[in-house]
Amino acid sequence: MINLKEWINKGRLKSPWVVHFDCGSCNGCDIEILACLTPVHDVERFGIINVGNPKHADVLLVSGTVNHRNKIALKNIYDQMAEPKAVIAIGACGLSGGVFHDCYNVVGGVNKVIPVDVYVPGCPPRPEAIIDGVVVALEQIKIKLGLAEAPAVHAVHME
Amino acid sequence: MMILGKLLLGVIGLALATFIGGFISGLDRKITARMQSRFGPPLAQPFYDVLKLWGKAPMAVNAWLVLCAYLTLMASALSVFLFFAQSDLLLIFFVMTIGAVFQVMGALSVNSPFSHVGAQRELLQMFTYEPLIILVIIGIAMHTGSFSIASIYALDTPLLYSMPFLYVALGIAFTIKLRKSPFDISASHHGHQEIVRGVLTEYTGRQLAMLEVAHWLDVVLLLGLCSLFWSTSAIGLFLLLAVTYFAELFVDNVSARLTWGWMIKRALGPGVALAMVNLLWLYAIK
Amino acid sequence: MAKTLIPFGPQHPVLPEPLHLKLVMEDEIVVEAIPALGYIHRGLEGLATRRDFNQMVYVVERVCGICSCIHAMCYCQAIEGLMGLKVPPRAQYLRVIWSELHRMHSHLLWLGLFADGFGFESLFMALWRVRERIMDINEATAGNRVIISTNIVGGVRTDINTGYLQEILRTLKTVEAELKPLYDTMMNDYTVKLRTVGKGVLTKEQAWQLGAGGPTLRGSGWAHDMRTLGYEAFHELDFEPVVETDGDAYARTKVRFREVFQSIDLVRQAIAKLPDGILAVPVKGNPTGEITTRVEQPRGELFYYVYCNGTPNPERVRIRTPTFANIPPLLAMLPGVELADVPVIVLSIDPCISCTER
Repeated sequence: MINLKEWINKGRLKSPWVVHFDCGSCNGCDIEILACLTPVHDVERFGIINVGNPKHADVLLVSGTVNHRNKIALKNIYDQMAEPKAVIAIGACGLSGGVFHDCYNVVGGVNKVIPVDVYVPGCPPRPEAIIDGVVVALEQIKIKLGLAEAPAVHAVHME
Repeated sequence: MMILGKLLLGVIGLALATFIGGFISGLDRKITARMQSRFGPPLAQPFYDVLKLWGKAPMAVNAWLVLCAYLTLMASALSVFLFFAQSDLLLIFFVMTIGAVFQVMGALSVNSPFSHVGAQRELLQMFTYEPLIILVIIGIAMHTGSFSIASIYALDTPLLYSMPFLYVALGIAFTIKLRKSPFDISASHHGHQEIVRGVLTEYTGRQLAMLEVAHWLDVVLLLGLCSLFWSTSAIGLFLLLAVTYFAELFVDNVSARLTWGWMIKRALGPGVALAMVNLLWLYAIK
Repeated sequence: MAKTLIPFGPQHPVLPEPLHLKLVMEDEIVVEAIPALGYIHRGLEGLATRRDFNQMVYVVERVCGICSCIHAMCYCQAIEGLMGLKVPPRAQYLRVIWSELHRMHSHLLWLGLFADGFGFESLFMALWRVRERIMDINEATAGNRVIISTNIVGGVRTDINTGYLQEILRTLKTVEAELKPLYDTMMNDYTVKLRTVGKGVLTKEQAWQLGAGGPTLRGSGWAHDMRTLGYEAFHELDFEPVVETDGDAYARTKVRFREVFQSIDLVRQAIAKLPDGILAVPVKGNPTGEITTRVEQPRGELFYYVYCNGTPNPERVRIRTPTFANIPPLLAMLPGVELADVPVIVLSIDPCISCTER
């Protein structure tokens, strides 16, 4: 008969709604993220909409370094999202602080405040790389839901 | 037995309306994307959205939000059911209004400024489209002699011939209800708005899924009202609806979002004026 | 009338950057706007003492990803001034070409976001589609779409060959043809005019006294453009500052759109006059002394103060960005407007908060 759980899981993978938070970024990554929505790259094909509201979103795209002021906002936004959710850290700044890792106001990469599922390196990463990052995040959601096995070989662990 | 037949029509109509409403929403997004030189999502995308939202962990701020989401969905469903059961137009209109009011009350129940501003704007939108729809219904009643939908199907010329201005007024109301520019003032599909998602901001997960389905049913209901204007042939009806919906998408893509002050001055005013002209003419030819 | 407080930002769909404005409202009219900055502050001026003057080029580029090439150019000019280096003519022209391409992409980006800010999504998509062509030029000539790292102390690091220069001219022709109908739409559309004309008015005296810069200043009637100072190859190119007199959001939009066409013209002039020669002069030793330089960034006047003491690390790099100067005019424009106009007015000064806070 109708397997609602299966259909819901299909819906989750085909309709990841994104909220973008610029967390101390120089704007390079942000404009590449916005470029994903526009004609040449067009992520709406995959069902991705940029909803501005964390309460409606499944995937949080964070760009930029975390500093002492915006870490509170970042945690707030992460907490407002409903499960299942994924976090993608975009750009070298989001991974580890990038060029600014030893500035006095910088705490570090996004994973110092919230758990990150996917890291997209680049300064800034191309829109294609960001789209790839979202696709990998969907794979991570699949693993979290128990629909797929975690890969045997882990990606490079960044300290 | 007539009543049982009508109830059956209503139930089948409601079930079909839910599916067709979803596909119309998908077609809407696809055509809008093509107008913007993009590919757009697959046609079944709204169904995936609703399924995904249904599966989200509950994060409703208070119980009143949940209740209002249920009531909005039930009111929309009831109004579509009554429409397909060929009931009374005034009754359908008021049931639809109840649903919209509960949606606004849910938004007001949360202590969020975006939600409140969105709710106030939604009330202003209702203040604009409801007089227009009532005038359309009055016009239909003047022409056919009764508020019942069945009496429209008894006519042999389409209503559009004698009520073109009322159709334009209905078109304005349709644009507002569809949340299309220039009237996407309280909650926009695009989400790039100064009040975040306006009246829909605080609805999440399952409640948002319910409101989304309620929106599909509202669209189907309004398309149904438009279809009454060409009740004589199926092809004519289909063409009329296609042209109307395409015109809505076109207007959405060539205009910016305006303010509620403009909406009341330039949409409600002229809309009511056009409708009154048509009503006076209908009264004169009686 | 009850006063409500609407928190605008730091995460907001309309503003791509974290700016926090507490809007005190009375019935959808803004009474007061209290800004709270600091969400992007990284403290990169402090990095100057820990990086050498060549590495600082890469740090300075990342002050703002949208106008990164121009930050690098200003900083390189400062160091070259301190060390007495004369940038070869070909490098000067190439710097002009890349910085004008940056100006075009920055203005097109802003025009798209502005259109999106008042709900005109299809115009946003169309403008960004055109912008992609400029991103392709960036990628083909420098290797990256954004943050192209072409400026180095002493000149530029890479060349554009003659074949590709012709390709740039062909692309610019396509861009110009595609932009003309978009210009007509943006400037003459009824709904756009309703949302922008008369909003956020900055009078001529106010603009000067509050220290506005760039299109914010030129939209209020002042013909003030730092490129007329004649740095790099600008002294050999022919152009006039683009000025409008109304001082509202519509005027500023018109200034920026006309500047896109002006930049297309400047790039064409630069390609026509491009001389042959080396790309960079060798850099020996360390800089000493203090110097100030200023260039015209898409948002206004960018001002650098550099103080070096003979060691490889500069001792002080002080950056004053145009958005920092445009925020007081913004705060003067906000009281008395409707809530729906707040994103239009905030976006009309082209805020780049990461430039402001560094």
